[in-house]
Amino acid sequence: MNCPRLKDWLEERYDLEGMKRLAKGKLIPEHRYDLWYYTGGITLFLFILQFVTGMLLALYYVPHIDFAHKSIIEIVTKLNLGWFFRSLHHWGAQLSIVFLFIHLFGTLLMKSYRKPREFVWVTGFILLGISIFFGLSGYLLLWDERAFAAVRVATGGAGAFPVIGGFIKAFLRGSIDVTGDTLLRFYAFHVAILPIITLGLVGLHILLVQYHGMSVPLSLQGEKKREVPFFPNVFYQDLSIWLVVTGVLVTLAVLLPPEIGIKADPLAPPPENVKPEWYFLFLMETLKLFPGSILGMNGETIAIMLVAGAILFFFLIPFFDQKSARGEKSPLFTWIGVIYLLYFLIMTAVGYLS
Amino acid sequence: MKLKYSLITRRTFLNTLFGGWFVAFFSGTFYALMKFAFPTLGKEPDFVVLNRKDFTNLANNSIKRFPWGGTVGFYFKKADGAILALKGVCTHMECNVDYKPAERRFYCPCHQGWFDENGKNISGPPPKPLEILVITEEGEKLIIAKKGVKVELPKA
Repeated sequence: MNCPRLKDWLEERYDLEGMKRLAKGKLIPEHRYDLWYYTGGITLFLFILQFVTGMLLALYYVPHIDFAHKSIIEIVTKLNLGWFFRSLHHWGAQLSIVFLFIHLFGTLLMKSYRKPREFVWVTGFILLGISIFFGLSGYLLLWDERAFAAVRVATGGAGAFPVIGGFIKAFLRGSIDVTGDTLLRFYAFHVAILPIITLGLVGLHILLVQYHGMSVPLSLQGEKKREVPFFPNVFYQDLSIWLVVTGVLVTLAVLLPPEIGIKADPLAPPPENVKPEWYFLFLMETLKLFPGSILGMNGETIAIMLVAGAILFFFLIPFFDQKSARGEKSPLFTWIGVIYLLYFLIMTAVGYLS
Repeated sequence: MKLKYSLITRRTFLNTLFGGWFVAFFSGTFYALMKFAFPTLGKEPDFVVLNRKDFTNLANNSIKRFPWGGTVGFYFKKADGAILALKGVCTHMECNVDYKPAERRFYCPCHQGWFDENGKNISGPPPKPLEILVITEEGEKLIIAKKGVKVELPKA
């Protein structure tokens, strides 16, 4: 591609050479853990795919209690490639969450959150929360019996918070029970409110990463620094990995289309052994551990408080871990990270197998 | 007494004025937005009126469901023929419960909670018994109400 006149035209208006220099100056450290740098890029790529497939589905989905379930069945049975894009959106969401967790635990165990990158961690953590809410709200749009039970439990669980629980529950449900109002509300969250917040936060997250540059793990800081340019070396590697992810995604979408359960019925009991999406299983198993009442207090409230406390601590780890902030090794927080990771993995496995 | 100097500078005064204006404007805006976003909640019904015919031929040891607001209520005939009405919502996480005739118990599939045939929580995470509702019959009507609620039917 060589259009000298267009180039000149742009050059007169914008500092293209300056931008080129800026792009060339972006260097990425090279070391034995640099594979972890790609997890963020993969998540970004999956987010872009989710936006595109989501826009397509929004052209046909009807967010109304009487038509929602039917409209999805029509998308997958009557529309050109409807089955494929719905399946792609489903599996894209699953993989997004998988890579978000890999990205999160990679960042945690390598302490990339340490000073001065606390806000990179904060924005990323909020994005994880939003993604999980994306998952929950997107799942309800199916309006099948499993989604109905899952949302009742999730919003009811939020209602068990002391003091503000009632407000959160009412705000999420838009009604005292999970009804058509909830469906419409979750649709608004899923297609308008959350995407806008996501765009802003992803932008900020990436901007902060550019500002700070890539973090090098503490254990490697003594070693000789090797760096490669982002353009074109790392960029091309990013693209090739994205291609592999696309391959995996399309394979999953074609071979394992997600099921559509029976339409939700507020009178019917949920199906036997109903389970939420896999990233809620560890929460479900945790809730099961608590008896109905502990020393006269509501066991559910205690469980929710403990889970919320654990998540809050996780969120604030960069501010608690003073040792790594000073550039020293911090084995205590490595252990805390390993405990969180093991708890998540074991409880998810227990939930999956039981 | 007149001070010879001013306690605040002109700059502080203006900053406070503009800052206050800013805070007042945006908290008002935020309040209005939230007021709109929060729904005007309905409430759980005090009672529902059903057709008595629909419930008369119920077999022993089985339930018949009826809508209770946005959730479900059970009209329940025990194995010994006694009649009971309950709210069919688990007291743990609000899933609908199911009746298991073989075990003569209510069961919540979400977190494996069990209630006996009087609605008492006997195992699993539920913290409280199922809510018992009061049944009254008026001619062809079957009225199921919350405990302690005075039923006033609109004059037909």
